[in-house]
Amino acid sequence: MSWIEKLWQTYEANRSEVGRLGEDHGAQLLPICHSTQQAQIEIAIDGDGQFIRARVVPKEDARTIIPSTEQSATRAGSKPVNHPLCDKLQYVAGDFVQFGGMVTSGYAKKPEEPFEMYLNDLLAWSESPFHHPKVEAILQYVKRKSVIHDLVASQVLHVDDVGQLLVTWGREDDELPEIFGLLRNRPQWDAFVRWRVEIPGDPQSAVWTDPTLHESWIRFYVSRQEKLDLCYVTGEEAKVATLHPAKLRHDGDSAKIISGNDTSGFTFRGRFTELSQAVGVSFEVTQKAHNALRWLIRKQGTTIGDFVVVAWDVKGEEIPDPLADTSFLLGVQASDEFFSTSNTGEDLARRLRQRMLGYSAQVGDTSRIVVLGLDSASPGRMSIVFYRELTGSDFLARIERWHVTCSWRHRYQRRFRRTEQHERDIEFVGAPAPIDIAEAAYGARIDEKLRKRTVERILPCIIDGQRVPLDLVDNLVRRASNRSALEPAEWSKALTIACALFRKLHEKEAYTMALDENRRSRDYLYGRLLALADSLEEWALNEAGENRQTNAARLMQRFAERPYSTWRTIELALGPYKARLGAKGRRRANQITEVMNMFVPDEFTDDRKLSGEFLLAYHSQRQALWDRRHEQSADNSTSESAIV
Amino acid sequence: MEKENAVEFKVHGRYALFTDPLTKIGGERASYLVPTYQALKGILESVYWKPTLTWIIEKVRVMKPIQTESKGVKPLKYGGGNELSIYTYLRSVEYQVRARFVWNPFRPDLVQDRNENKHFFTARRMIERGGRRDIFLGTRECQGYVEPCSFGEGSGYYDDIEELTFGLMFHGFDYPSETGREELRARFWVPRMEHGVITFIEPDECKVSRFVREMAFEKIAALPLVADGSLSDVLMAGDAK
Repeated sequence: MSWIEKLWQTYEANRSEVGRLGEDHGAQLLPICHSTQQAQIEIAIDGDGQFIRARVVPKEDARTIIPSTEQSATRAGSKPVNHPLCDKLQYVAGDFVQFGGMVTSGYAKKPEEPFEMYLNDLLAWSESPFHHPKVEAILQYVKRKSVIHDLVASQVLHVDDVGQLLVTWGREDDELPEIFGLLRNRPQWDAFVRWRVEIPGDPQSAVWTDPTLHESWIRFYVSRQEKLDLCYVTGEEAKVATLHPAKLRHDGDSAKIISGNDTSGFTFRGRFTELSQAVGVSFEVTQKAHNALRWLIRKQGTTIGDFVVVAWDVKGEEIPDPLADTSFLLGVQASDEFFSTSNTGEDLARRLRQRMLGYSAQVGDTSRIVVLGLDSASPGRMSIVFYRELTGSDFLARIERWHVTCSWRHRYQRRFRRTEQHERDIEFVGAPAPIDIAEAAYGARIDEKLRKRTVERILPCIIDGQRVPLDLVDNLVRRASNRSALEPAEWSKALTIACALFRKLHEKEAYTMALDENRRSRDYLYGRLLALADSLEEWALNEAGENRQTNAARLMQRFAERPYSTWRTIELALGPYKARLGAKGRRRANQITEVMNMFVPDEFTDDRKLSGEFLLAYHSQRQALWDRRHEQSADNSTSESAIV
Repeated sequence: MEKENAVEFKVHGRYALFTDPLTKIGGERASYLVPTYQALKGILESVYWKPTLTWIIEKVRVMKPIQTESKGVKPLKYGGGNELSIYTYLRSVEYQVRARFVWNPFRPDLVQDRNENKHFFTARRMIERGGRRDIFLGTRECQGYVEPCSFGEGSGYYDDIEELTFGLMFHGFDYPSETGREELRARFWVPRMEHGVITFIEPDECKVSRFVREMAFEKIAALPLVADGSLSDVLMAGDAK
């Protein structure tokens, strides 16, 4: 699969984004050979390496792009390798031990070692043909071995009476210095330092935003790679990577897609005796591809536990999120009106068409869209569980098809209205999001693994147009029929989602969202009967001011199992409510009789289980009644105002 | 070769896993979208093979849509126990293949076996029988079935699609027994699928080639049957009874 090639192309196509801070999602397309770290201390020096000032970096600004090596980017353990330029105090401060700092346990025997390693690396960089004036300045300053001394003098770090760094801030009464607040349970000397080099005439004093410095590090690092071998992606001789990047899904993620550490077993051994024989990817390609992937996942990926789905256009244009429901796709607002049922289907199709046209104007017919799904069965290794490459027009067509065919009227989404503080229910017509489908099928407190598995199963239905899984629809129908077991809001959500999925599964039957008064199948008619009985009883109860659950609601599950016998119970119980409503309710009662007459007699007395079709009819009928009442009251109010 | 000796067959199965080397090392194997030259050669060698000949795959036609499916697996670890992995297979595959054979020049001891007719007709018969050995599509767990067919018959899913490319892909291995050199090399190429058909380039035409490691070429010589009388006393004893 050419996923890595596609990611590499994405990086190259989006070069202008490299190093820029994303708007609100904090996603950055990092330059290669760099990673990010949270920095707590910022030291500003001048071009000759003289200390100017230092400060504690507030949490919002802490994210820093730092040059890193393959080893330092994935460092762990008791002897972590140093970063080349910005690093923790134990590496940059020559006077670390003097002030009582404790190095990481692996260095305990030689506490100056971290500083020496750092200094040597910095020296090598500044003596190479790729040196940079800022590096020189930092080198000069660091050589003085006065970092901690200067930090204490600037009151960034705090010492006790004998001049040793405080482990914790003992004094309760005084205000906690910022450095302790940022580091929480870690000691002061665990702080991470970043540099500012203020050279007159250079507007970019910050080391982490200077593109010339990024470039200098990249060129220096690549020049030091030795191993030349075939790159399996480009097909050319190049410097190959020995380690591949991690931290893909989030900063604490140690899982790698390309990882090879099984030297004793036979994961790849057999024909090959060593890892380098099995595969080689050039350093540049793997760094760029993984950086692009990291950026895309943070910018527009959806994460469900360990499972990540990300869809992107190689050229970087905006595309619809395959896992979004229609309310997000169409940008439904809280102020939108409620639909009338009669033409919802066409209305939805029209709006989707317009939205897709909007996208396709940007995306174009031939551009490549890639949909990638990643999951890990074990920490440390990530596998590609879903990979599709589509043309722009194909992708948009399939998304559109999903949203049109798997649609129903839903009322479970909430949005903020502009003038109000709390969220309101909004109604939208369209397809539910896979996460909502999973929750509707298995409950809101669903197991993480089950949730991601379900979303994984639904993804090919959206992207490939595969049939929805039968067992999923069964679960949805069963749950939606069990009204008494669920809270009203949860039940309503389960009902509409079950209707959407059932309708999608039985696409050939061409069920309409609006009530189909000509449909005479047994399940459909039974659904209508239940809705009519339910609404009649509810009306009667409302009139009387009673707040009980209707018989129809209570018996819904039994009705689904044994419709004929349960219907008799419901119908008999309707008697008193019909009487209560009197003449007003006659119309509704007549409707019930009409529907009963539409049955084929044998089918009516058939007591077998109902399929999900009855849910469709139930919901459609209820909506029809509700809409009619809504229209009537609107009519009444307008006519009244006309009179006035 | 005097006559044209191409054979045609179709191979199909429920799952296939033509491992992408990038994912092989981590243990989370994912399949290439189309079979490699080496995989098809392996299938044909399972059907019929003699050391006298070397199969050359000419072209493959993809009949069904390319779909992947991921499965969680529990592969065994060499040191005992299991580990958890996710393998991504190709689902429901069917390929029509056309291939021919040439004599293996590095087996001069088998010159007298170079009978074109014999090998050609036996290969055809073995295809009709579905192969001498088990057929597997890439990895061993993906069972496949071989049947005779005429290359190009029937309608395939990709017949109307003019061209699809797949990036750089593994082509095959150069083994010492087929190249005469004592090294294992890996070859790569960029396949293009035109109207569903991928026409392979021959091993020597692969420009991208990589030395993997040294591999010894065991000099095998076919021994002719010679009567040396060592079993004659056993035979005599049997007759006496």
